[in-house]
Amino acid sequence: MIDNFTISNKEIEKINFINQDDKEFRIKNLEFFNQNGFPSKRDEDWKFSDFREILSKNFKNISINNTYPDEKNFRLINDFDHNFILLINGRFIRSDFKFEEKKKIKIKEIESDKISRDKSENPLVCLNNALFNNGFILEIEKNYKLEKVLIIYNLFSDDLSDHILNNRNRVILNENSQLHTIEYTINKSKNKFINNSYENVLLKENSILKNISIQASKSDGYFYKFSNNKLKSDSQYVNFILSSGLKFNKQDIKVDLEGKNSECNIKSALFLDNGDHQEIKTRVNHLVPDCKSFQKIKSVLESNSKGIYQGKIYVKDIAQKTNAYQLSKALLINDNAEFNSKPELEIYADDVKCSHGSTSGNVDENSVHYLMTRGLTKQEALLLLINGFLNEITSEIKSDTIKKFVEKKLEFQINGY
Amino acid sequence: MKNQNINTNQEYKYGFTTDIENIRAPKGLNENSIKFISKMKKEPKWMLEWRLKAFNRLKNLKEPNWQKPKYPKINYQELYYYSAPKSASDKPKSLDEVDPKLLETYKKLGIPLNEQKKLSGVAVDAVFDSVSVATTYKEELTKKGIIFCSISEAIQKHPDLVKKYIGSVIPLTDHYFATLNSAVFTDGSFVYIPPNVRCPMELSTYFRINAAETGQFERTLIIADKGSYVSYLEGCTAPMRDENQLHAANVELIALDDAEIKYSTVQNWYPGDKDGVGGIYNFVTKRGACRGKNSKISWTQVETGSAITWKYPSCILQGDNSVGEFYSIAITNNYQKADTGTKMIHLGKNTKSKIISKGISAGNADNTYRGLVDIGKKALNSRNYTQCDSLLMGNKCGAHTVPYIKNKNSSSVIEHEATTSKINEEQLYYCNQRGLNQEEAVSLIVNGFCKEVLQQLPMEFAVEAQKLVGISLEGSVG
Repeated sequence: MIDNFTISNKEIEKINFINQDDKEFRIKNLEFFNQNGFPSKRDEDWKFSDFREILSKNFKNISINNTYPDEKNFRLINDFDHNFILLINGRFIRSDFKFEEKKKIKIKEIESDKISRDKSENPLVCLNNALFNNGFILEIEKNYKLEKVLIIYNLFSDDLSDHILNNRNRVILNENSQLHTIEYTINKSKNKFINNSYENVLLKENSILKNISIQASKSDGYFYKFSNNKLKSDSQYVNFILSSGLKFNKQDIKVDLEGKNSECNIKSALFLDNGDHQEIKTRVNHLVPDCKSFQKIKSVLESNSKGIYQGKIYVKDIAQKTNAYQLSKALLINDNAEFNSKPELEIYADDVKCSHGSTSGNVDENSVHYLMTRGLTKQEALLLLINGFLNEITSEIKSDTIKKFVEKKLEFQINGY
Repeated sequence: MKNQNINTNQEYKYGFTTDIENIRAPKGLNENSIKFISKMKKEPKWMLEWRLKAFNRLKNLKEPNWQKPKYPKINYQELYYYSAPKSASDKPKSLDEVDPKLLETYKKLGIPLNEQKKLSGVAVDAVFDSVSVATTYKEELTKKGIIFCSISEAIQKHPDLVKKYIGSVIPLTDHYFATLNSAVFTDGSFVYIPPNVRCPMELSTYFRINAAETGQFERTLIIADKGSYVSYLEGCTAPMRDENQLHAANVELIALDDAEIKYSTVQNWYPGDKDGVGGIYNFVTKRGACRGKNSKISWTQVETGSAITWKYPSCILQGDNSVGEFYSIAITNNYQKADTGTKMIHLGKNTKSKIISKGISAGNADNTYRGLVDIGKKALNSRNYTQCDSLLMGNKCGAHTVPYIKNKNSSSVIEHEATTSKINEEQLYYCNQRGLNQEEAVSLIVNGFCKEVLQQLPMEFAVEAQKLVGISLEGSVG
């Protein structure tokens, strides 16, 4: 069923905000998806995560007809003041920017004619191109820095079962603006479903975007997110990926450093438990001189889990004085866990500093022994070391209240151990 | 250290050809040419059947195309699959019987086929095109029970050994070029070291591609029986040619319990001219199996020649406590392309592997390290350490690193690091200040950059390799 899963062109007719140009683009993309199907390990980008096989094992049917029930008694996080956007099954429901100057922020439901038309060979991106009909566009005016953090509540309703959702969001930060977001996933569905999302980010001169991805609890959802980021000069992009506890998650992040002195930071701390499969794929393109990029990926892997990091740094011939560093570290604490990585460099400029490191192994026995001589049990010692390993990432979050909130969530994941 | 031997504008000094009449197989890749090769080699029936099996398999295979360096399509029907110096059809029994023209060629190459070879302690199985002409030092080796001969001779005289091990590391069903080699290989070396024997000298083969339009398909098989040790040298030079020449060799190493094989290569084939015209395509499959407990295989390579180098000397670490090592220098200049690296496949317990790779690109060249470290579920307590460093000279060349790292158990440790940088201006300035010219300074710095690998080379190669490093980079800076 999954092997020959196709979608009829009629589905595109159902999408209501459509013009002829857009329709042709969607049909072309759907044809590509129908020809290629879900990506499998034959695709180099999916070498370590055979999505087709994973789906065949877990899904009998996949439906594209979704509902969007409003969650009346939805509760906000009350740990700290924040603005919010509420999405249900990917659809933009409402937003509240009560701490901000209203006219500095524009938010609306996504329209099809304003999206990028990049040609893609990734079947899931093509599927998204063809079918997306939900999401938001958020634009921050020039010189405006948001007072409070923005939480994007990404809620999945309990009636989801064997659905595939295709949604798309777009964030634009104009000159000198600043935005901090937390993408907070809440899954109420007890069943399996697939969320295929696409994110477009444009950071104009001297703007700053900081994002944290995290979820409320464990979930049986299958998540794929393609994030397409463009950075103009002196802009800064920071992304913390703390999405432990998902059955399947692949974050595919592409960053184009298009303006001088722009900087990109991707950090991740993951604790993968029984049966979890998570992949982080980054591609950082240094297209102009004097840019910086750093990736630091740390994973702890429990029984039967699989962690993957595929990172690529590309340095164009004119991008001299590039400084790029990539590090992935994995702790395998169970013999059935597996960690694969492919840290790749493709460099055409000579006056650059590019390096990567990748390690994987178990918890250092000497450290465990040391802690046990100080009176800790083995379990306590392990927990302490794992916490310390992952906290190196979260300690880089500047706001204390948010850091506390994030660490609490992470601890909740680890303590299942 | 001041390297006196670097001469500016030094041309490729091994660019000459010898005029010797050839016996050729019918042009093209088909059953007849395979039968012709087998007949010329006086092979037993099982060998011909094996070749034909490979050929049948080849019909269903496609040429791989995932590699970074692309090359024009090769028309396999336009190649000759067998060419032998005419005088080899009745084999010479001593040096006096060898074609004097051949001897002259060797002299130019500096192969010690005369009396001096005894002093240098090198036994040479010299390959001219596709047939072994003379094998030296046989007696001394025979005393120890070591077999060192051409693969054709081994097929006739030691069929049991060949039958047992050929294709056991690189099976018939492998990728396109390996299978092509299995079908049409003409010659190569065979080494067998009996149990508990330490080979008293470095075994060495010089390859030389001579006839135009002849792809050379070598097959080397080295077996180190229990507790034995062998160090094998492979050095290559080729005449200047305009047509691209294909070289698709297969090298299989097998190390049994407590055995050690050290395989060193200096490759200096014709890299094409300054505009990227001509040059050899070096598509080689090299694979070693550490079958026994405590066995060790070590690959060392210095790759400076060839238009395209595309090879991954690999180790399959099957035996418990076995060790795999890979030391590599790949230098590309002008329009050369190299896509090289290794595979370390850990299957046994307590296996260890170490990878040191140094890539240097200059001019318009592209240099890729591509490697795999795979630690299996049962390979408990295994370790890998990988270091890939790249040096770039100019912004028209590229340096790429594509490592695949897989860890499937919690008791194993993998460490990988890679860096890319350029020659430090201050170091250059310092050298200039001390009276070295630009070229000498570059050679000195690059030799320092490669030191970890150069140290692994046997004495015979170390000097030549250091010179090569300098010569290969001439004109790339300043």
